[in-house]
Amino acid sequence: MNPPGSLGVLEEKEEEHLATPVLGPSIHSDNPQERIQARRLRIAARLEARRREALGEYLDGKESEEDQSKSYKQKEESRLKLAKLLLCGTELVTNIQVAADIREIHRRVEEEEIKRQRLEKLENEVKTSQDKFEEITMKWEEGKQKRIPQELWEMLNAQQVHCAGLIEDKNKLISELQQELKAKDDQYVKDLKKQSGDICLLLERMEEQVKNVMKTFRQELQHIEKAFEVEREELLTNNKKKWEQALQAHNAKELEYLMNRIKKVEDHEKQLNKQRIWDCEEYNTIKIKLEQDVQILEQQLQQMKATYQLNQEKLEYNFQVLKKRDEESTVIKSQQKRKINCLHDVLNNLRSKYNKQVKQFQEENQSLTSDYKRLVMQFKEMQKAMRHFALIDDKQFREIWLMNEEEVKDLISRAFDVDRIIHTHHLGLPWTAPDFWFLKNVGPISQQQQKSATQILEEVLMEAEEEGAEEAASEPESYLDLPKQVSAKTTRKILMLLCDESGFLVERKLLSLLLPLDKSECYLLKLDAIFSALGIESEDDLYKLVNFFLKYQAHHSPPSQERTSLVSPLEKLDPQGEKEGSLVDREPQEKQPPPSPQLIHPNDVLKILEAFVTGLRKPRDFRAPVKLLKVVRDDSKDSAYWKALTTVIPATTLNLWDALYTALEKYHLVLTQRAELLIENSSLERQNTELQQLLQQYLDSKINSELQVPPTEVFRVPTK
Amino acid sequence: MEETQITPSLSVRSWSSISTQDQSSISTQDQSSTAGQASSTGPQPSKPSVIPPPVKSKGPSSGAGVRRMRRIIAEDAEWSVAIVPLLTELCIQHIVKNFQNNPILKQLPQSIRKKVLNHLSPDLPLAVTANLIEDENYWRRCCTQRWPVCHVDEHGGSWKRMFFELHLENLLKHFIPSTTDPEVILNLLPLCRNYVHTIRVDQFLPPVQLPPPLRGGDQSDSGSEGEMEEPATDHYQLGDLVAGLSHLEELDLVYGVKDCGMNFEWNLFLFTYRDCHSLAAAVKACHTLKIFRLTRSKVDDDKARILICSLLDHAALEELDLSHNLIGDRGARAAAKLLGHSRLRVLNLANNQVRAPGAQSLAHALAHNSDLVSLNLRLNCIEDEGGQALAHALQTNKCLTTLHLGGNELSEPTATLLSQVLSINTTLTSINLSCNRIGPDGGKQLLEGMSDNKTLLEFDLRLSDIAQESEYLIGQALCANREAARQRALSPSHFMSPATAKGPENPAG
Repeated sequence: MNPPGSLGVLEEKEEEHLATPVLGPSIHSDNPQERIQARRLRIAARLEARRREALGEYLDGKESEEDQSKSYKQKEESRLKLAKLLLCGTELVTNIQVAADIREIHRRVEEEEIKRQRLEKLENEVKTSQDKFEEITMKWEEGKQKRIPQELWEMLNAQQVHCAGLIEDKNKLISELQQELKAKDDQYVKDLKKQSGDICLLLERMEEQVKNVMKTFRQELQHIEKAFEVEREELLTNNKKKWEQALQAHNAKELEYLMNRIKKVEDHEKQLNKQRIWDCEEYNTIKIKLEQDVQILEQQLQQMKATYQLNQEKLEYNFQVLKKRDEESTVIKSQQKRKINCLHDVLNNLRSKYNKQVKQFQEENQSLTSDYKRLVMQFKEMQKAMRHFALIDDKQFREIWLMNEEEVKDLISRAFDVDRIIHTHHLGLPWTAPDFWFLKNVGPISQQQQKSATQILEEVLMEAEEEGAEEAASEPESYLDLPKQVSAKTTRKILMLLCDESGFLVERKLLSLLLPLDKSECYLLKLDAIFSALGIESEDDLYKLVNFFLKYQAHHSPPSQERTSLVSPLEKLDPQGEKEGSLVDREPQEKQPPPSPQLIHPNDVLKILEAFVTGLRKPRDFRAPVKLLKVVRDDSKDSAYWKALTTVIPATTLNLWDALYTALEKYHLVLTQRAELLIENSSLERQNTELQQLLQQYLDSKINSELQVPPTEVFRVPTK
Repeated sequence: MEETQITPSLSVRSWSSISTQDQSSISTQDQSSTAGQASSTGPQPSKPSVIPPPVKSKGPSSGAGVRRMRRIIAEDAEWSVAIVPLLTELCIQHIVKNFQNNPILKQLPQSIRKKVLNHLSPDLPLAVTANLIEDENYWRRCCTQRWPVCHVDEHGGSWKRMFFELHLENLLKHFIPSTTDPEVILNLLPLCRNYVHTIRVDQFLPPVQLPPPLRGGDQSDSGSEGEMEEPATDHYQLGDLVAGLSHLEELDLVYGVKDCGMNFEWNLFLFTYRDCHSLAAAVKACHTLKIFRLTRSKVDDDKARILICSLLDHAALEELDLSHNLIGDRGARAAAKLLGHSRLRVLNLANNQVRAPGAQSLAHALAHNSDLVSLNLRLNCIEDEGGQALAHALQTNKCLTTLHLGGNELSEPTATLLSQVLSINTTLTSINLSCNRIGPDGGKQLLEGMSDNKTLLEFDLRLSDIAQESEYLIGQALCANREAARQRALSPSHFMSPATAKGPENPAG
């Protein structure tokens, strides 16, 4: 409906433009669609021109070709034409839908309006009818108050009329609505028809469009094909011409090449011939040479073969030998293996045994160590006992010694007495008491055991400690044996100094071991080491040393110039220091006659030691064996002593004594004889007297008288 | 006929088995006899005659004498050894004949398989063929036999798919709830689940009430159906079917009855709430669904909201078409919400009752959306308020390419805003403002907007009261844009000579 109308306006407008003749549909045709197409095409052509202008810049390279190629132009044209056609066609077809749409919109708008009006109307109606109804109901109230039937009747009639009016109104409304509904129904039917018409139109247009499009497509296709063919023919002719020209040129050139080639071939043939001859000669010479070489090589080959065979035989022999050896070695190997196995077994056994033994020995070791410990204990005990016994023995020995000595001395004194008596009384000689050293001796010989240096040290140090403990206590008596005026303090100080200064003599190991020990013990051990290094062993050495120090000090401190030659320049400074020290220590020096060891400068210590060691060297040599005897008590002198004791009386005196003895014996004998004789005499005298008495008695006695013969008469007889 | 059939069989018997001979004889006969007939009708006559021949052939061979045989040979003038078919042929024929009972296909070599497929009857039960035969030719025969007009392009170019989709559509179209056995469809489900991608059903029959036929005896075509009571007008519930189809991508439904003629009654076109709920559940459960169309089904706001609610955050949905329904502003608002909660690319609300508020909510959603490509609001009534809101939204939107606002009572203010949009926007390619009242001034403004635009290809301003001049100029600008777009499409490929480049474009343009 609409599209033709609306487009009709466009058409008129279009007609104002110049009517340009178009190939396809003309503007002046009767068919409106064709006209539309024509116009579209025109517009497209214009647009295309504009577009080309726009694209001209970057397509200018192509433009020359474009101008030439008809086919391209044709294609572009057709494309645009067809695009227009399609666009128009779709527009044409969709126009119907759009028209339907707008109709629908109109309808809807109208419908809405009508609906609104209807609703308004209905609302009004409701209002009025409500009013009327209320009026009627009001009247009912009134009617109830009415008493007069006539009035009531009138009122009822009026009410009836009112009600009828109300109902009539309603009915009217209903009929109106029903009419509307009918009209709508009619409208609906009309719309349906219209729509079916539209659809028919739509189908028609679509079909037409399809036909149209197909037709135009075909036409365009033909146009394009024609254009292509024309172009192709042109191209063909052009190319043919070109081809022929090129062919002719080619032929000419070919001929030229051929001639050139023939010439060249001839040249080459000549060259080849020359080359061939030359090659032949060369070949012959080379051949001869090579044959000679071959002969030489064959000879060499023969030689090589001979050597080869020789070698082969040798190698075979070697191979055989090696094989045999291999076999042997395998046998040996197996044997060795077996042996190894056996040895392994043995080894294992031994190992087990070894382990057992280790265990056993460990046990034994343990038992032995325990035994050893026990023995050591026993030994210590034994030592203790031994020491005890030694002491006791010593004591006993001493006692016995003293006893014997006493006895001997007794005897000797008696002997001396005797001798003196003999000399004085018997011989009338003056007696002088013999003066022997052993006579003064009391106690065992060689009791003065030399103490070792260390012992002394110990003592000294202990002393020092004790001193430290009890300062008040005066110098102990035990130090009586210290030589001369050297005090314990000075010795100690000297030793301390020595210890501090000559640390280099101590072994390093010892130093490390000493660290944890006491100060005093440390000193002791250090000094021990130093002394062993210096060769100081005995007490005497020690005292010598101390004395040496003191003397050195005494000698060198005041006149330090004496040894300036020996003293190092460093020591030159010492005197002053020493002097200062001496100044400081003046007071102690006064107290103690020996110069204080503090005066000895530490730097001098080494010198002193050096001097001391050089001095000590000689005596030390012969003293070495003596040292061995010291251990056992020396009893060589004992026998001499005792012997000497026996020979207190010399042999001459003894001889004298013997002679004296014999003389005295003789004398004694004489004396005894005399005595005997005297005794005999006396006895005889007494016998005489007695006999006299008896006689007298007898004589005197009555018996006698009685007796025939009286005794007195016998007597007289023997005696006569 | 039978006599002639037997003759070759007996003659050949001496060196081949009986059964194959029978077939061979039949097949040769069939080939000769049915050569002139149509291929579709060919197999049918052969089938019934397949079974009797062996019985008959055995009869005479055992009973009749040798004489008869000889006599027959003598009579058959045309017989020769050359006619004897190959053993493979015979086997193929046998396979074809017994395909229903013993479908052998996969084990066959390629060439023979083809032959077998060529000879299979399209009437074979689907249970046998559905999952076994992939050959397009077979299904093409099936399709062409059942439906004279069919476009395979609408079904992804696959004849098999087309067959199953049309078959299913047919079943659904004629499914009458509570009378048709639902097993009919459910039985088909395991056969077609892998092939059906689209369901297009343009009618759902309501359940048949028993009373009408009783009374129908005396007043069959009268308006008695109009007095039917409301209940039980639910249609077939798609839930089970949709859940069973694993590749379903498109659902195109119309709840209505076609060709009702004078039996029209409003009941026939009811899209009930129960239908709506079941459909919503089915759609929600179908995660492969891409296109969902429900048109001409009287979907009102509430139903639309139910449906759209179920579609929120749907993973695959790309197109939603609810055109020709009764959706108002609330439904439009729901659709706007859906825009924010899915990856919808196409939204079609044509011919509904969306007014300005609905359009404003849509515009609000559109302003922040980056998926929607096409929006169709044809034949609504969004008026200038809605149109302005949409135009504002388009100033920020960078995705929409197609906008249809035809028949929306838009006027000049919208046109001014749209002209601004045109000068800014570079994604829009198609706008339809037909059937509005834009007026000459609006047209001029649009023309101004177009002068700055280089991307718009289509701009429909028919019947919108625009001056001819501006419409013509806009058309020219569009042509220029189209040419430019064509050049753009060509240029990135290579700078080839226009002669070759534009050749293939011709038919397309």
